[in-house]
Amino acid sequence: MLRSLRAKLLAWYALVLVAVLATFAALAVWTVWQSGLRDLDTRLTATASLLARAINLDSAGQYEVNLTDPDLAAFTVSDDGPYYAVWTSAGVLIDRSDPRIDPTPPGAPQIRSPGGNREVIVAGDHGALVLVGDSLVQVRSDLWRAILGFAAAAGVALALALGGGWFLVGRALAPVERIAETAEAMSESNLGLRIDVTRTEDELGAVATSLNRAFDRLQEAFERQTRFTADASHELRTPLASLMAELEWTLARPRASGEYRSSLAICMRAAQRMRGVVEGLLTLARADAGAIEPQREPVNLASVVEDAVSGVGSIAIERGIAIRVDGVPAIVNGDPNRLRELISNLLINAVQYSFPGGTVTCSLSALGPMTRLVVSDTGAGVDSDDLPHIFERFYRANKVRSRASGGAGLGLAISKWIAESHGGHIRCESSKGHGARFTVELPALVGSANQVSGNDRKLRSPEPSDDAVPTAERS
Amino acid sequence: MRILLVEDEPDLAATLRKTLAESGFSVDVTADGEEALWRAEGTAYDVIVLDLMIPIVDGWEVMRRIRARGDRSPVLVLTARDATIDKVRALDSGADDYLTKPFTLDELLARIRALIRRAAASPAPVIRLGDVEIESSARRVTRAGAAVDLAPKEYALLEFLALHRGTLVTRSVLYEHIYDDRDDSMSNLVEVYVSTLRRKLGHGLIRTCRGSGYIIDA
Repeated sequence: MLRSLRAKLLAWYALVLVAVLATFAALAVWTVWQSGLRDLDTRLTATASLLARAINLDSAGQYEVNLTDPDLAAFTVSDDGPYYAVWTSAGVLIDRSDPRIDPTPPGAPQIRSPGGNREVIVAGDHGALVLVGDSLVQVRSDLWRAILGFAAAAGVALALALGGGWFLVGRALAPVERIAETAEAMSESNLGLRIDVTRTEDELGAVATSLNRAFDRLQEAFERQTRFTADASHELRTPLASLMAELEWTLARPRASGEYRSSLAICMRAAQRMRGVVEGLLTLARADAGAIEPQREPVNLASVVEDAVSGVGSIAIERGIAIRVDGVPAIVNGDPNRLRELISNLLINAVQYSFPGGTVTCSLSALGPMTRLVVSDTGAGVDSDDLPHIFERFYRANKVRSRASGGAGLGLAISKWIAESHGGHIRCESSKGHGARFTVELPALVGSANQVSGNDRKLRSPEPSDDAVPTAERS
Repeated sequence: MRILLVEDEPDLAATLRKTLAESGFSVDVTADGEEALWRAEGTAYDVIVLDLMIPIVDGWEVMRRIRARGDRSPVLVLTARDATIDKVRALDSGADDYLTKPFTLDELLARIRALIRRAAASPAPVIRLGDVEIESSARRVTRAGAAVDLAPKEYALLEFLALHRGTLVTRSVLYEHIYDDRDDSMSNLVEVYVSTLRRKLGHGLIRTCRGSGYIIDA
């Protein structure tokens, strides 16, 4: 491909060059021909003028040509030398240098080129007509010499230009070959390879830089995919290992009924954890494929919050954490189940990261056309290094947290998707040691700015919920 | 044989603990890398079963640090990470074996036994001491072809002495390897076990070395 590009470029270059040279040569040859003719005409005209003045009328009224003039001495009878002829005004041939000259009078003064000769006819003294001619052989041979000279020069110029062109095109295309080589050498195991752009600061350098950036993005996407697959596999294998090991232990020999019960409880927990991962993955996969069209209906966010708070109540009580709810009634257009999932995820997350005895606050407020939900905790907070990544799938921040707090690391990714699919957004602010604050903003359906004093309360004894399967976390 | 199990999944840790205990191992369990490091520093474990994705200090770092301080305890990595690069990295960090989750308990136990034999430079699965044969895979002991019934701790003590035959094993080393930190019997049970073993397997098998320890001659 490259070779042919080089050849193609060179062929175009040669074509243009040949056209230019040919035009130039044609003009030059034409000029040479014209100037040769002009010179010959000048010479013949001068000779004819001399001859014209050499014509005398003798006393008997007879014409005579005085050829003693040394200028006319050159006229000899030859095949390609100059010749002349003189006619009277009546058209009678008086004299001619060569008997082969056609005696027919030429008519009027003119310049003509009959049969490879050039003839100048002028009016002489006493009404005579004088014809001086010469062969065009000389002019023609000059012309041929010029043509040959031009051809030779053009050939040399063409050869030089093409040779130089081949070299220059090769040089110009060398970076393309380097780019091709690098791209060729890239593979799944060699994604870190990049094109060397130090020696190309031109358009190809820009191409190489763009390609390198594209490679960066590809590598990143590839690595993200690899990591995601590894994480998903890890999150499924871990409970599966627990399930299988427990079953193998139980089946190894007869067990006491209490042991069977506790074994089944372990298996149940493993299965629930796997269900959480599978459902999370399925939700996200459907979201990625755009297969979920969230249903839209007016939803009172305050009651969804209340619902979600009672859902996580048992975990909160278990960990000794109080949940404060305050805010205004806010109506948004959305899917109540998804919104409940979003708020539950944030609450579970906050509860899991709070220190025992801490407080989780969930507040709703109106903010112009948006409804704002803030869930904040008094826990350990998120490291600033982890903050940009916490909405990524399976991202695990500080490894300090033990697996015991559950969850697969998909909850926040799902929350982000829910917020965005409702035309809103989610963000997290945190500093190490000062808790985390998740803010969700959703478009309000109706003007919910009627500031109600808020049902500020502490949740002490919410009714237990069957929705205690942890799905959100931050680690 | 004493095993350190580092696993942060509580259910799996519980299952492994009871499995290992039923197979006669003394087991200490920890859920994070930091505790694993100080436990390994205080005790010469016969095998460390190590998860890689553990809190505070990850498994690779645990291996790097225990190897850096000269600890030669065999490490079996037990992880859900199955990529070649993870296996290579773990083995290059000082792991002796690698098992991916999910796994079967039989395989885990067989690998642990193999690691113990290799570490004791006694690779044969059956140890013959005169007319006594110890088959570690089945935890079976025979004397002159007849099966001998041993209590778990008796077997553990015999196996440890047999694996280290030819070397003096002090009482404190025996305590360290046949009890875990949940055993709270501080009595001189080792002496009781030794005398029971002598009665069952013959008095010439285990020699007492002037109150400091015991030896089985190679």
